[in-house]
Amino acid sequence: MSQRKRSKGLGCSQLPDGEDDFIPTQVERRSQEQLNQKVSELVQFLLVKDQKKIPIKRADILKNIIREYKDAYSEIIKRADRTLQEVFGLQLVEIDAKRHIYILINNLPCAQGELLCRGKEQEKMGLLLVILSFIFMKGNSVKDSALWEFLHLLRVYPGKQHGVFGDVRKLVTEEFVRQKYLETTAIPLTDPPEFKYQWGPRAEKETSKKDVLNFVAKMQGKDPKFWASQYSEANKATT
Amino acid sequence: MSHAGTSGESPPAARRRRARPPQPQERAAREEAAEAAQEEAAEEEAAGERLRQLSIGDGDDDDREHNRMIRSQYRELISTVQQNREAMLNSKSNRLTEALEEANRLFDGVCRAREAALDAHFLVIASNIGKEKASELHSEMSAFDSTAFAEDLLTFMGINRTEVEETDESEDIPGGFLPTGAWQTIGEEAPKYFRRAPTFHYMMGSFKSEPPVPKQRIERQRKASRRKAERAMPAQLKKMEESHQEATEKEVERILRILQTHFEDDPNTPISFFDFVIDPNSFARTVENVFHVSFLTRDGLAKIKLDEDELPIIEPIKPSEGGEEEDSRAGARNQVVISLNQKEWKEIIETFQIREAMITPPYQATEEEMETE
Repeated sequence: MSQRKRSKGLGCSQLPDGEDDFIPTQVERRSQEQLNQKVSELVQFLLVKDQKKIPIKRADILKNIIREYKDAYSEIIKRADRTLQEVFGLQLVEIDAKRHIYILINNLPCAQGELLCRGKEQEKMGLLLVILSFIFMKGNSVKDSALWEFLHLLRVYPGKQHGVFGDVRKLVTEEFVRQKYLETTAIPLTDPPEFKYQWGPRAEKETSKKDVLNFVAKMQGKDPKFWASQYSEANKATT
Repeated sequence: MSHAGTSGESPPAARRRRARPPQPQERAAREEAAEAAQEEAAEEEAAGERLRQLSIGDGDDDDREHNRMIRSQYRELISTVQQNREAMLNSKSNRLTEALEEANRLFDGVCRAREAALDAHFLVIASNIGKEKASELHSEMSAFDSTAFAEDLLTFMGINRTEVEETDESEDIPGGFLPTGAWQTIGEEAPKYFRRAPTFHYMMGSFKSEPPVPKQRIERQRKASRRKAERAMPAQLKKMEESHQEATEKEVERILRILQTHFEDDPNTPISFFDFVIDPNSFARTVENVFHVSFLTRDGLAKIKLDEDELPIIEPIKPSEGGEEEDSRAGARNQVVISLNQKEWKEIIETFQIREAMITPPYQATEEEMETE
């Protein structure tokens, strides 16, 4: 994982930029107990922060948990990740190496028949899966007008309140984007401005093109190989 | 392919191209895009020529009217193209070509830079669309029929299809009713494809979660209602202001009357204090009775003394006796603290076999008082 790039010895250089006011006058020997305490706090913090599925920023972690233990940041992160994996079967993943944003994903293969999400969450995931499939099958990028045209066919309208999803436009353009499931960019030279949708970094980590292709194939009752180019792209991604 | 030199040549050339045998959709669309590009290129050349020939001048009114019309037609064309962008991108449609041909026709009437500028604007938009159309073809994705996919999804969700008349536009929504659990069905299928971390929740809830907030609201409501009650109170209090003070006094008076009544029946036998105050049914009332009786003794309306058996007895003092008994009264200004707990209370009831209260409880008293009066 990208956050373990540097070795333990270089304490200062791992600090985020702009934190020059922290001058380690003495390299305090952090006791194992103290570190473990911080690790536990971080694990709890991550689990709670993950409830809304909004990615967690390193700045928040530093401010709320690490605080004066900045020099041990990467060690704490590493141990927290290990705890998450060994105890909860989750994984801490950095989805943005520049801005240092993390998400939690499930390390275990999704067992059949397990109800890990509840009603409302499940329905949103259903919609999300449909959208991600559409985007992938259409070449990894679709215009918002095309997406809404497609959702029309499923009785989902941007302007109308949906019985299950409520304000769908908000759900798709704000919630899914903020959770990093979808990414939206503006198309140049369009008036009124149009946007295109692609898979967000969380979608890249939580699912795969192969899985999504399998979903489409299952829905349409066809073999995934039916869509030759998508199939080859999906298999390229996994290898 | 060879460039058509002037606009005059392009229609026959186009006709030749269109005369080719019918081909699979993709290639036809590609051709359409290429045609469009061709035509644009041809247009550009022609436009370039004409611009060179343009004379800059106002012209007369007819010209102005003519130009205005051309400008409005161009603007209409531009807005049509922009609004129907999706329709134009549809690989099956020829609408982009039609729009280009329309612009072609309009351009024949253009003789000034102003209209030509509009034409150039249109060209930018049309070429953008053309580029997108081309890029959609360039993608190596195998043809994916989203409509069929949507239909299959609806089927999976359990749609109830009914017969509905279809209109011409294929973009119309097919008929049928989605059952209420439709998205739940997909929702059950979806998690299998995601490695989503289950959200963390405390099983028993955490300490500092929501409950305190409603309590505060309740407290505020209570305080608000208390305040309102207090505001209402003064109005009532003015009417019954004396009631609180009087209540005790009334009680005391009532007890005095009871005492006097009992004493009148039998003036020579003083009443045992315990018999008088104890209410075998209620310890609380017993204490109240003692409290009220203490007022009587304080005000000199009754006296308590010990009899031969050293048991306290109580008897009312007649006001006329006041002068004679002054000494004894002055001497008898003693303070006594009587303590009584429940155990003693029960023992007294047992010992003295007190079956009923001599001092009737206040709310029962009304009936009795009415009887005696």
